[in-house]
Amino acid sequence: MIQLVLFGVFNGLIVGAFYALMAIGLSLILNLSGVINFAHGGFLALGGYLAYSLAPTIGFWGALLIAPLITAAIGLLVERLLVRPLYGRDPLYSLLLTFGLAFIFQDGLRTIWGAQSVPFSPPAAMMSPLSAQLFFLTGYRLFMMALVAIAVGGLFYVLGWTRLGLRIRAGTRDLETLSTLGVDVRVLRNLNFGLGIYLAGLAGVLAAGQLGLSPTMGDGLIMPSFVSIIVGGLGSLVGTLLGGLLIGVASGLAAVFFPSAQEAVIYVMMVAVLLARPRGLLGEEGRVH
Amino acid sequence: MTPLSAVGLETFYGKSHVLHGVSIEVREGEIVALLGRNGAGKTTTLRSIMGLTPPREGSVRAFGQLVTGLPPFRVAALGVGYVPEGRKIFGNLTVDENLRAPADRPGPWTLARAYQAFPRLAERKANKGSQLSGGEQEMLAIARALLLNPKVLILDEPSQGLAPLIVEEVFRIVRRVREEGASVLLVEQNVRAAVALADRAYVLDDGKVIYEGAAKDFAADEARVRELAGASAETWDLGD
Ligand SMILES: Nc1ncnc2c1ncn2[C@@H]1O[C@H](COP(=O)(O)OP(=O)(O)OP(=O)(O)O)[C@@H](O)[C@H]1O
Ligand SMILES: [Mg+2]
Repeated sequence: MIQLVLFGVFNGLIVGAFYALMAIGLSLILNLSGVINFAHGGFLALGGYLAYSLAPTIGFWGALLIAPLITAAIGLLVERLLVRPLYGRDPLYSLLLTFGLAFIFQDGLRTIWGAQSVPFSPPAAMMSPLSAQLFFLTGYRLFMMALVAIAVGGLFYVLGWTRLGLRIRAGTRDLETLSTLGVDVRVLRNLNFGLGIYLAGLAGVLAAGQLGLSPTMGDGLIMPSFVSIIVGGLGSLVGTLLGGLLIGVASGLAAVFFPSAQEAVIYVMMVAVLLARPRGLLGEEGRVH
Repeated sequence: MTPLSAVGLETFYGKSHVLHGVSIEVREGEIVALLGRNGAGKTTTLRSIMGLTPPREGSVRAFGQLVTGLPPFRVAALGVGYVPEGRKIFGNLTVDENLRAPADRPGPWTLARAYQAFPRLAERKANKGSQLSGGEQEMLAIARALLLNPKVLILDEPSQGLAPLIVEEVFRIVRRVREEGASVLLVEQNVRAAVALADRAYVLDDGKVIYEGAAKDFAADEARVRELAGASAETWDLGD
């Protein structure tokens, strides 16, 4: 029984870590640019496929390092060329753009890499269980958790302790005033977008190692990621992280004990949290987008 | 090179036409007061200069360079500092972080010097902007603008809602900024204090310049002063 609970919790943490990586990237972009990036799942899949193509030449570790960076670079380009012209217009425009981009990503991935899902393997030594009792604990899964923790820790370091980070935080409140202080807010939004996409690319590589690759692999993650943001509270990245882990664990436990409720439980949690706390776990008061 | 010159500004908010051909100039080393009743268009004039609300017609030059239509950060980068109406400090950032937000421009102002000039801010360094009193917030907004090392400083009603002692402090800083060689464009409701401080004054009404001249001539015209000061005194508490 304990083992089953642990199994559910651990699986949930893994899934939750993906939700959180996705959701934190989405939040970053939403908070500074007011854009809901429906193409986020597409960037995630792109990261996974890039790693898949790079791994034969530069190895798994090289791919893990490079693929998210290339994904982020493509993100910078997409923001610069397509998203930037829509700032200051009706949010509907950017919504339509990212919605359309999501489809373009899917079709593009399908054209380049095929519609079939393809396997992508981390080093074999990492894939065997560490002990018979805790059969669900593999080196790779622990490594994945550690890497997600490092990525999120790194992001919080940038936001909390660097000048770029304090400007991003300032910009989420008052971009106009920041701009009068001589800060190029267009560059700021661009870098911030790239940061969010980097996390998506990283999640894509990690997820590919765990679940394999398909052009639609991001689809299953995007709705739970939005739920993570809402559960955690708009505007709070720590909240988003907690929200992601929480609904991940909830769905991991549901998968063990009530398999049929595995997806519904996420939305049940959202409703429960919102009823108890309309602004989410750590959402700031009086902040409505 | 003239720090600021705006010529024939026609500025709109959507369909509503707010500035009707406003021209103002700030010359080197001057303190210029921009006066007028609530809703006269003072803030809009400043926003037009900064590029926050670009004018539909007319031109703005900063240090001789045409900046009409440029984004605010480019105007700022030329050495135009801006202390907005209502202070607009970043409440979610600490005092220290607020002061590290501005772009680096060479000049006398460094973080260390700002803390020396504003000891109260040094004491509250680690506090969030939102935890400061109104007076502290105003000091923070001014210090933040000074850290850009502006050659002309624009202040929009810096004394609004502040206790008299702090208002004096604000005016002392404005004088000091000028002594160090920068020019100042000051919007004030506090008409008597502003004309006492300024070299020249403009009065706006309904989006037009209705008076332009030496501040001491304006100060001597008691009827004019009383009309304007009276009008603003009545609405003093209403704020924005
Ligand atoms: N964002 C806006 N949208 C529409 N109209 C505006 C906006 N801001 C100001 N106005 C209008 O433009 C006119 C000028 O406003 P402005 O803020 O420039 O006046 P002001 O002289 O700064 O007044 P105050 O002393 O109250 O600060 C007013 O009639 C005001 O109602
Ligand atoms: Mg005003």
